[in-house]
Amino acid sequence: MNIIFEFKTEFWTPTYTQISANTINDFKNAIKLIPLNSLLYHFYINIFNYNLVSSIYTNDIAYWFYKNSYYSIAEEIASIDPTEYLDLENLRQDLINILSKYSDDKIIQNSFYFLTIKRNIFFTNLKANTLEEFVNGIRNSSINSIFYHLIMSKLDNKKPINDYSEWLSIQGYSQKAELINKIDIYALNLVQVKKLILEALTK
Amino acid sequence: MTELIEYEDLIGKEGLEELKIIAQKIKDKKVLHVNSTNKGGGVAEILSRLIPLMNSLDIKTDWKVIKGNYEFFKFTKKLHNLLHLNTHEDIESDEIKIYLKTIYENINDINTEDYDIIFIHDPQVLGLIIKKQKKQKWIWRCHIDTSTPNIKAWNVIELFINSYDAAVFHMPEFVYKGIKIPTYVIPPSIDPLHPKNIPLNQEFIIKTLNRFSIDPEKPILLQVSRFDRLKDPIGVYNAYKLIKNKYDCQLVLLGSFASDDPEGEEVYKEIINQTGDDKNVFILNLPPDSHLEVNAFQRAATIVFQKSIKEGFGLVVAEAMFKQKPVIGGNTGGIKKQIIDGINGYLVDTYQGAAFRARQLLADKSLREKMGQNAFNFVKHNFLITRHLKDYLILIYELVNS
Repeated sequence: MNIIFEFKTEFWTPTYTQISANTINDFKNAIKLIPLNSLLYHFYINIFNYNLVSSIYTNDIAYWFYKNSYYSIAEEIASIDPTEYLDLENLRQDLINILSKYSDDKIIQNSFYFLTIKRNIFFTNLKANTLEEFVNGIRNSSINSIFYHLIMSKLDNKKPINDYSEWLSIQGYSQKAELINKIDIYALNLVQVKKLILEALTK
Repeated sequence: MTELIEYEDLIGKEGLEELKIIAQKIKDKKVLHVNSTNKGGGVAEILSRLIPLMNSLDIKTDWKVIKGNYEFFKFTKKLHNLLHLNTHEDIESDEIKIYLKTIYENINDINTEDYDIIFIHDPQVLGLIIKKQKKQKWIWRCHIDTSTPNIKAWNVIELFINSYDAAVFHMPEFVYKGIKIPTYVIPPSIDPLHPKNIPLNQEFIIKTLNRFSIDPEKPILLQVSRFDRLKDPIGVYNAYKLIKNKYDCQLVLLGSFASDDPEGEEVYKEIINQTGDDKNVFILNLPPDSHLEVNAFQRAATIVFQKSIKEGFGLVVAEAMFKQKPVIGGNTGGIKKQIIDGINGYLVDTYQGAAFRARQLLADKSLREKMGQNAFNFVKHNFLITRHLKDYLILIYELVNS
């Protein structure tokens, strides 16, 4: 089946929710109130922005607990892989479940500031009709574009398969599709991920 | 004039392409930036670089500067300090009158009617909002920390702020809790093509060091900052004293103070007194436009300090990081947004901590190189003017479509 793959890209504009937390209990309450896009921001901002540096924890909620010496909470939250969720409400619930085991009103010096985002998705000028064009498209894609097709498309479409793999499967490249869908995105950065996709495609 | 294409080596073809894609969506919009000065200070510097880039993307963008007399600027400086540092001063009704009078005088001079998007930088020119037309979007771009303002000062500006469509701050920590309009977060940036940051040849770097009798063969510990107690130059000197027990190194404290900056001169003399006749300590007061010299010192440095006690964003950190230097920064303000502790630099709370981290770095060349590389990559991805430009374009797109 011949379907044209149209490459898109995604940009965020972060806004401050006016919600901050400086105790564990504050944080627990805040998690219930914040918009879902705030979770999206805090779970993905490091993979999005810190793409060239491996930081201690990929999501900055875990990193905040770590920096403030709550190591167990940090580890538990870091183990949540947001790429496994198709509904962020479930992610919120799992976060609440972890935090419900802890209680502390001790003031933490560095507050956590909850940001949220508005997502802006644009078509790029890249299109693919063949595998060769697809490889070329990936090669010329920004990490924002990779992020959109690999992560956000799953969330938007509520499907366990990303855009790239879905298109490749339809085109008859199931093995390549599988390889891409299995990339451990949350343990890498998007530059590494782009490299792995290209490797999978040219195998 | 710098062309967008010159940034391709840093952001890649795909980065340039993305800027064009967003710009295309807003190409019929006219943008105006207004601030209080066209030279001196970080805001003027970034606008002078950003506006040509917006125009090169076919977004008609202009820059206008408010006019005022001595009394007006005296009051706006006071307002700035009250919002930023919460100094305990009263605002007199005469000062408000002078402020409003100047704003009204500028209404005729500054044409805002022809623009779709108006960026108003910092509190000085906030009052121009009274010219707002319904179809326009007005954005207050605040470059200072207003999280704990003097309430009287906040009350003065709040009258204007609430009429804006959005505010933009460098980081959420700078936002006052009472603000009622949508608050965007866009960090500031450095321009890799500014004389402060352009690549330099080794000959120029060595020549610059020689001019000041600094030994290029010996490790250099550097802090570039105003001579200001909040930058903790004495703390840096104390750290150096601990380091020099183990390492034969040099300390360079590089800054500038103007003739009308009595505190700067006082701090400068204080440092000179403290450091005494140590031949390995260099306290250099350079003219404010010594961009190439500062660049040369940053490139020559082995380790860079920014051991501030209180800091705004502290972009001098990003400048050093861009030159692949590990920076030891004070655990405060925007420095915390630039340094990921232990990965692309170190965050410290004391001069003892600064000394310890410096020793670790001096002892291990590969650690310095690894951190320096991480620092460069981090700045390249997060704090370059091209990212700033992209953020502004998306903000404009979002506001005009809201």
